[in-house]
Amino acid sequence: MAVELKTIEHLCELSKLDYDEDGMKKVMGEMGAIIELMDEIKEFDLTYDDTKDGNKIAFKDTREDVAEESFSTEKLLSNTESADGCYVVPKVVE
Amino acid sequence: MDIKRAKIRDLRKSLDNKEISAAELCDEYFKRIEEVDPRLLSYITVTKDKAMKDAENAQKLIDAGKATALTGIPLAIKDNICIDGVKTTCASRMLENFIPPYNATVIEKLNAEGYVLLGRTSMDEFAMGGSNQTSAFAKTKNPYDLERVPGGSSGGSAAAVSASLAPAALGSDTGGSIRQPSSFCGVTGIKPTYGRVSRYGLVAFASSLDQIGPICNDARDCAIMLNAICGHDRHDATSANIDTPDFTEKIGQPINGLKIALPKEFFSDAVDHTVKACVLDAAKELEKLGATLVECSMPGLKYAIPAYYLIACAEAASNLSRFDGIKYGFRGEGRTFEELIRDSRSRGFGEEVKRRILLGNYALSSGYYDAYYKKALALKQEIIKEYNEIFELADVILTPTAPTPAYKIGAQDNDPVKMYQADICTVTVNIAQLPGISTTCGYTADNGLPIGMSIIGKRFDEQTILQVADAWEYGFVPLSPEL
Repeated sequence: MAVELKTIEHLCELSKLDYDEDGMKKVMGEMGAIIELMDEIKEFDLTYDDTKDGNKIAFKDTREDVAEESFSTEKLLSNTESADGCYVVPKVVE
Repeated sequence: MDIKRAKIRDLRKSLDNKEISAAELCDEYFKRIEEVDPRLLSYITVTKDKAMKDAENAQKLIDAGKATALTGIPLAIKDNICIDGVKTTCASRMLENFIPPYNATVIEKLNAEGYVLLGRTSMDEFAMGGSNQTSAFAKTKNPYDLERVPGGSSGGSAAAVSASLAPAALGSDTGGSIRQPSSFCGVTGIKPTYGRVSRYGLVAFASSLDQIGPICNDARDCAIMLNAICGHDRHDATSANIDTPDFTEKIGQPINGLKIALPKEFFSDAVDHTVKACVLDAAKELEKLGATLVECSMPGLKYAIPAYYLIACAEAASNLSRFDGIKYGFRGEGRTFEELIRDSRSRGFGEEVKRRILLGNYALSSGYYDAYYKKALALKQEIIKEYNEIFELADVILTPTAPTPAYKIGAQDNDPVKMYQADICTVTVNIAQLPGISTTCGYTADNGLPIGMSIIGKRFDEQTILQVADAWEYGFVPLSPEL
C-alpha cells in the first residue's frame, strides 16, 4: 500500500522528527508495508466497549496528598545543560 | 569454582558455606566476561568497581549470618532499568550519557537483598525489536552460534545468562522481550502478570504492556528472583495491591491432574515444522507426567500482530514524547525551541524507534483513531475473553515461544513487517496481561539451536506455570553453548 508524502510529512510534524530526502523515500516505503499489515485489523468485526475495560487503577491505593521530599534540583539538572538552577533552552521570546 | 550455568541456589550454598567469598565469586564472573564478551557483546556497561563494593557489603551480611536468597549473588540488569548513579542507556544514542538520579523499585528491592551488580546488558533500542540488532552500542550475538541473533529485546540478558556471564539477569517484556530471547539462547525467562512487579524506574515503552521479569538458568531460579522483586509499590499505581506468594512453593510438586491447553492456532503453518514438533513432543512428555492435554482454539490470534503493534506504538509515541533534548538525553542543535526538539529526536533516536513513533501517531491521529486504535482495543477485549474461555477448560496453556529458532544476523534487516510477524507467539500474553514462562524443550538436529516452549497461566498464577516448567526441566538435560 502506498502512503502519500503529505501523510508522512504530517506524521513527522506530530512526531517532531525530520528525514532527509532519501530517508523520507525509505520511510514512505516501510510505512506503506507496515500500514498494510495494520489494515488486517479492519476485517475484525467487533467494537470496543469501554465499560468492559479492566485496566483500572485502584485509587484507594494512592497516597495522601501531602508534600514529600523529592529529588534535589542539582541531581535533576545533572543530565543536561543548566544555568542558575534552570534548564537552558533557546530563546523563545524576542 | 566452575560457574558455567551455575544456579543461584548453588551459589547461595557456596557463599554461605564459605567455599567462596562474594568478591571471589564476582571476580570469577568478570574473568569470564573479559574472556567471552568481546565476541558476544552482551554487556553495554560492566560495573566492576561498584561490584567490588557491593560484594564487600554483601560479605559483611553473610559473615553476620544475615544473608537472604540473593545476598552476594552477582546479577546483570537490562539497560532500561534505572540504577542511581549508573549509566542507563536503553541502547540508544538518545540516552548515551544518561545517569539516573534514582533507583527503579526492583533495584531497591535487590539492594535490600544485598545483590551485586555485574553490569548493564544490551537490548534493542528502547526495547523495540526482537534481535538486539537495533542496539546503538552492542549488537549481541547468540552464544550457540555467533552468526545468529540472541533474540530481543532482552537479548543481552539472555545471552549473558546462557554464556555464564551472569547466573541470572533482569529483563523487560512488552511483547515477548523476555521469553523470545530466553528461547533463542536456551535459558528460562518469565514475564510476570502485569502489575505483579513495579514498573517504577523502567524506562517506558508501552505502559499497559511492559513488565519486568527475570531470566535464569531454570524455573527454580526464576521463582527465587520473583520472590525478591514482586510486590505492590506506591510509586506505580498499576502495581497490584495483593499478597505476594512464595513463588517456590509449588516447585517440585507433581503435575498430575493439571490440564494443559494447546490452542491450535499457535501450531499453524506460520510456525516452523521443527519447532512445532519439538513443542508437541514436550506436551506428550508432560502428559506422561500425569497432565491432561486439552485441544482448544484462539481465533483472535489472527489479528494479534496488528492489535499489538497499534497499542504498543500508540503508547510508545506518547511515552517517547518526553525525549526533547532539554531535560535529559541527547541534545541536538537549533535556533528555536522547535528546531532543538526536532534535531534532538531525529539524531538521537534510531530508525526502528522512529518508525514506531510514526506508526503510533498514525493510529492516534484524527481520522484514524477509531479505525485503528479503538479497533485494537476491541481486539484486546476479544483476546482476554478467549483466554478466559480457555482457562475454564485448562490450568495452563502451552505454545511455542517463537515461530523459528534463532535466525542469522541480518536476515530480517530492512523488513520491519517480517520482524513484527515473528512476535506472533508471544504478544497475546502481554495484551491479556497474563504471566508466561519460556523454557527450552529441545535443540534443532542439524545445528543444535535451542527451541523454547511457553507456558501461559491465569492472572497472578505464576506458581502453576513455574511448577509445570520445573516439572519439565527436571527430566530435561540442557546443552550449554561452547564458548
